[in-house]
Amino acid sequence: MRKTFAVVIAAAGMLMATMPLWAHHAFSAEFDANKPIKFRATVVKMDWINPHAWIHVDVKGDNGTVTRWMIEAAAPNALLRRGWNKQSLLPGTEINIEGFQAKDGTNKGNGSIITFLDGRKLFVGSSGVGEGPPR
Amino acid sequence: MRHLLIVLLFIAIVAFVALPASAQAPKPAPGGKPWTAPKTSWGDPDLQGIWTSDDCIGTPMNRAAQFGDRLYYTEKELADRESVLARQSETDKQEFVADNARAGTGPPGHWGERARRPCKQTSLVTDPPNGRTPDILPEARLRPVGEGAGNNNPRADSPEDFSYYIRCITRGVAGSIFPVIYGNGQQIIQGPGYVTILQEMVHEARVIPLDGRPHAGSNYRSYMGDARGRWEGNTLVIETTNFLGGKTGIGLNGGGVPTSEALKLTERFTRVGPNVLNYEVTIDDPKTYAGAFKVGFPLTQEPGYENFEYACHEGNNAMFNSLSGARAQEKAQPTK
Repeated sequence: MRKTFAVVIAAAGMLMATMPLWAHHAFSAEFDANKPIKFRATVVKMDWINPHAWIHVDVKGDNGTVTRWMIEAAAPNALLRRGWNKQSLLPGTEINIEGFQAKDGTNKGNGSIITFLDGRKLFVGSSGVGEGPPR
Repeated sequence: MRHLLIVLLFIAIVAFVALPASAQAPKPAPGGKPWTAPKTSWGDPDLQGIWTSDDCIGTPMNRAAQFGDRLYYTEKELADRESVLARQSETDKQEFVADNARAGTGPPGHWGERARRPCKQTSLVTDPPNGRTPDILPEARLRPVGEGAGNNNPRADSPEDFSYYIRCITRGVAGSIFPVIYGNGQQIIQGPGYVTILQEMVHEARVIPLDGRPHAGSNYRSYMGDARGRWEGNTLVIETTNFLGGKTGIGLNGGGVPTSEALKLTERFTRVGPNVLNYEVTIDDPKTYAGAFKVGFPLTQEPGYENFEYACHEGNNAMFNSLSGARAQEKAQPTK
């Protein structure tokens, strides 16, 4: 598949400088700052599971090949408290995803910036990306 | 008799003044009735409900030196913190991604819980007066510490190299209630002779007998220990012993130097208003710390807050991802 990844910026890794104590995550252990991903995708399903939800999406390459990706999202608890429910992201919805791929090269990514096609944020929250809660 | 009354009144006033501000019952509204602690139908103080430590998210365990022996922020400092929360709340409402937003490998800001009001404390440690954890003993420092969430370059070869929290096993008693980024819910359910505390993150259920029975024999050991409760006035006191040693620590999420099998925790839950439950735990582990110390903070009831199922193992892709990431890193940098 011809990659539709956009190289965001070489220095993207520098953004991860200070990480709060996230639950089950050593982010840099999972995701590779040298493998930025940026694509448009179609939602297949969403796993509402702890510690973190995962959005399964299909990504269509330029040659028509479809690849399945898993994108990590917030904990279901955090989503529910922000007004989400099971109807919030239905299969077939198109979204834009920007983040980083798993270190082992599998089709998993962190959903750093996820938007609907009109630019609205998929998840309500601070626009700052890579930041944590107040310390 | 009159003298006795005056003395008693004086003692009562002194005792009240000596209480920290957060432990004092709220003043009644003008013309309203003073709040009285509710009771269950069988006469115990009623602490039931879902409580969260969210408001003290981000409050450091150990007090910064600049605050000295001062446990509470000043009104001015509190107002500053309140305005930070207000700005954050406004930012949270942004519907569109900001132009300057850039992708990072870290978690987006919306992943965490927010404090609803500023925490009044300068540290979670309330005693000793300097708000700092006593020194950790040299022998305790030799205990292995599982790789935790803050380690972005884990060298784990197997799941067992990770902390008990990351492995979805436990955060320990203290780690299950100390305020962290999310999952701070504590559901208290009472029955005659028992209190149960359901803890949101990593799914603990502490069933605590109140009937005065002795602790289990010393051969009985567990991650969450053996708890016995009693009422002291309106305060629920829970004493927990019989821990397994070397598992979890007294840090957030059970992190830090693991405690020993000599650990004894004495927790105090006191409802001081309709929606505020003061929590305090005395940590006494003579094989780990140079002295006993106390950690305390308020728990609050918030509209709409629920304990959602923490199906940790089913969703723990992070374990696979971290281990496969470590292998990929070794491959790329064999001499790591």
